[in-house]
Amino acid sequence: MYGIFMECWVIFKLYGGNGYLLALFVASLIYLLIAEKDNRKRLVIAVAPFMVIVGFFIPYTRIAYVAVLSDGGDTYYRIMWLIPMGACIAYTGCKLFMNHKRIGLIVVSVLIMLCGSIVYKNQYMYKAENAYHIPQVVVDVCDVISPGEDEPRVRAVFPSELLQFVRQYDTNILMPYGREMVVPQWDYYNAVHEVFEKPEVINAEKLLEATRLTQCRYIVLNESRKIDVALDEMGLTLVDNVGGYNIYEDPEYAQ
Amino acid sequence: MVVLSAFALILWLFIVPMGMGLLIQKILPNTKKTIGINFLCGYLLSFAVFEVIAIWCMIKIPYGAFHKCTVAFASIEGILAIAGYASKIWEIQKEYDRNRNLFYLVFPGDERSKPEAMISPRTDVRVMKFQYTRESLVYWGIFGAIVLFQLVMAVVKAPFDGDDSYYVVESLLAQQADVMNTIHPYTGSSTALDIRHAMAVFPLWIAFIAKMCGIHATIVSHTIMPLLLIPMAYLIYLEMGRILLGVRQDMIPVYMIFISLLAMFGNTSIYTPETFLMMRTWQGKAMVANFVIPFVIWLFLWMFDDCRKPGFLWNEETAGGLRIVRNSTWVMLFFLNMAAGIMSSMGIIFGTALAGLLSFLLLIYTRDFRIIPKALISVIPTGIYLFIYVSL
Repeated sequence: MYGIFMECWVIFKLYGGNGYLLALFVASLIYLLIAEKDNRKRLVIAVAPFMVIVGFFIPYTRIAYVAVLSDGGDTYYRIMWLIPMGACIAYTGCKLFMNHKRIGLIVVSVLIMLCGSIVYKNQYMYKAENAYHIPQVVVDVCDVISPGEDEPRVRAVFPSELLQFVRQYDTNILMPYGREMVVPQWDYYNAVHEVFEKPEVINAEKLLEATRLTQCRYIVLNESRKIDVALDEMGLTLVDNVGGYNIYEDPEYAQ
Repeated sequence: MVVLSAFALILWLFIVPMGMGLLIQKILPNTKKTIGINFLCGYLLSFAVFEVIAIWCMIKIPYGAFHKCTVAFASIEGILAIAGYASKIWEIQKEYDRNRNLFYLVFPGDERSKPEAMISPRTDVRVMKFQYTRESLVYWGIFGAIVLFQLVMAVVKAPFDGDDSYYVVESLLAQQADVMNTIHPYTGSSTALDIRHAMAVFPLWIAFIAKMCGIHATIVSHTIMPLLLIPMAYLIYLEMGRILLGVRQDMIPVYMIFISLLAMFGNTSIYTPETFLMMRTWQGKAMVANFVIPFVIWLFLWMFDDCRKPGFLWNEETAGGLRIVRNSTWVMLFFLNMAAGIMSSMGIIFGTALAGLLSFLLLIYTRDFRIIPKALISVIPTGIYLFIYVSL
């Protein structure tokens, strides 16, 4: 039981990140539990969140959660979503500085900014290159290989850095493997991925064998990627080079 | 084309939901008949209706399911919106005179209170709206500027999230291939219904908007949805704030500034609701954390606020104390439980669990055992949803 409790504690800490905003919330919760005179508000904004936190740390809750939900272990932190942390902190800030509004506005705002972490500095927040919010190079590559209106769909192999965006732009482009192959913890096997992504130097013959088995018409290859024999020497046609990516077409599957 | 798409967006994202909201507005007390609550109610009804139609189409129609789903949903939304507007016009034409402001006839809850009403012992000043002072208006301006900044950033910044290659592609597949979860988003190969994800039809609701407006579903997800969903989340927090701060309405803009700053600075980890709101706005789980859960909390703040209210106040607020008006929060909770299902299958369980906990606290506080059947009826959608979930 102690081990499960510690698991919950680790999840709680991971949820809080730097921990300062979480500390601000805990302080707000304690304040509201003590200072809120209106029981009706206290029950909703303080007592219920307190009960959720207590429930979160009870090992039986985690055992039941993992048993009921298939990915229960990974999503246990979502129990914390039941707590209105933002409303608790904001309401506490208002209550504390009810009669000193201007000072309160500055103090609490600065506190939130110092304790929190601004979302726009997140490492996964990029500058939008187009209205699709996907890299422009993906759009450009897809525009080259996308089938016309009455043409059949095409299958293409993409390098892992483009993989997740291709079908967000055009679902008429099929792929022998997708995002499932680039999430390390899922650990799936795919024959094309095995010969295209894993070796430092691609074996062109093995690659063609795999792509032809999966009926890939195009191979999109980063021009910096090493390959033992150039694909055009293996009989493929270099259709275009877009943004540093060579687009090869396999004549066996060309229309 | 762009103009047509823009008009279609305004139609399907604002005009139609507002009309649908007018239907729910009929059962709300006067003080809650505001434009903001009307907008939220419209979406509540829209999501709830989509839940029923989309799941039925997905399970029953093997080919061209999404097209049929779109036709059915658009028709029903249209009928409900027209019914909402028609009933409202019928209602206000009886009261209309030239001296009255038409906006306040449609949304009487937004009318600022008159001084004599405030000093009357027969009114509940906590739920009345006052004129804001100049200082409060400045605070509202600051809040508006923060939200505007966030919306601009939502357009010019592109957060990366791997789950988009599932959810956004599901939307695009519906729009481009006319399927409902029967093609694997990652590769494009055919697949059986993955019930864990399939029941959460929020990506298909986005696809519906994309199809009706003729805009690529990825653009709708990444660029347009944040412009709608972020302000919608703030609307719920605003209503929570109104109840929490009661008569101190001058503090509401300050509270909203704190809320908006917390949303922007809440990215302390990848798990927080704020991170989901700002970086994965268009995903159903973000809506669970920032729409469903706050909505449940607001409804219960409202229920707690209403309990032990003297009868004369009830009569004034509910135009004669109609039972349905008194129970409007439970009706909304029923629709919310339906709507939660479209966000995520976990969302409906979470929403119901929180509603259960808060109903229990309400029961203890009021010792009114009529709460039990009301709470049980409001979770019927959850029961049906889970039954379908486990039986497929």
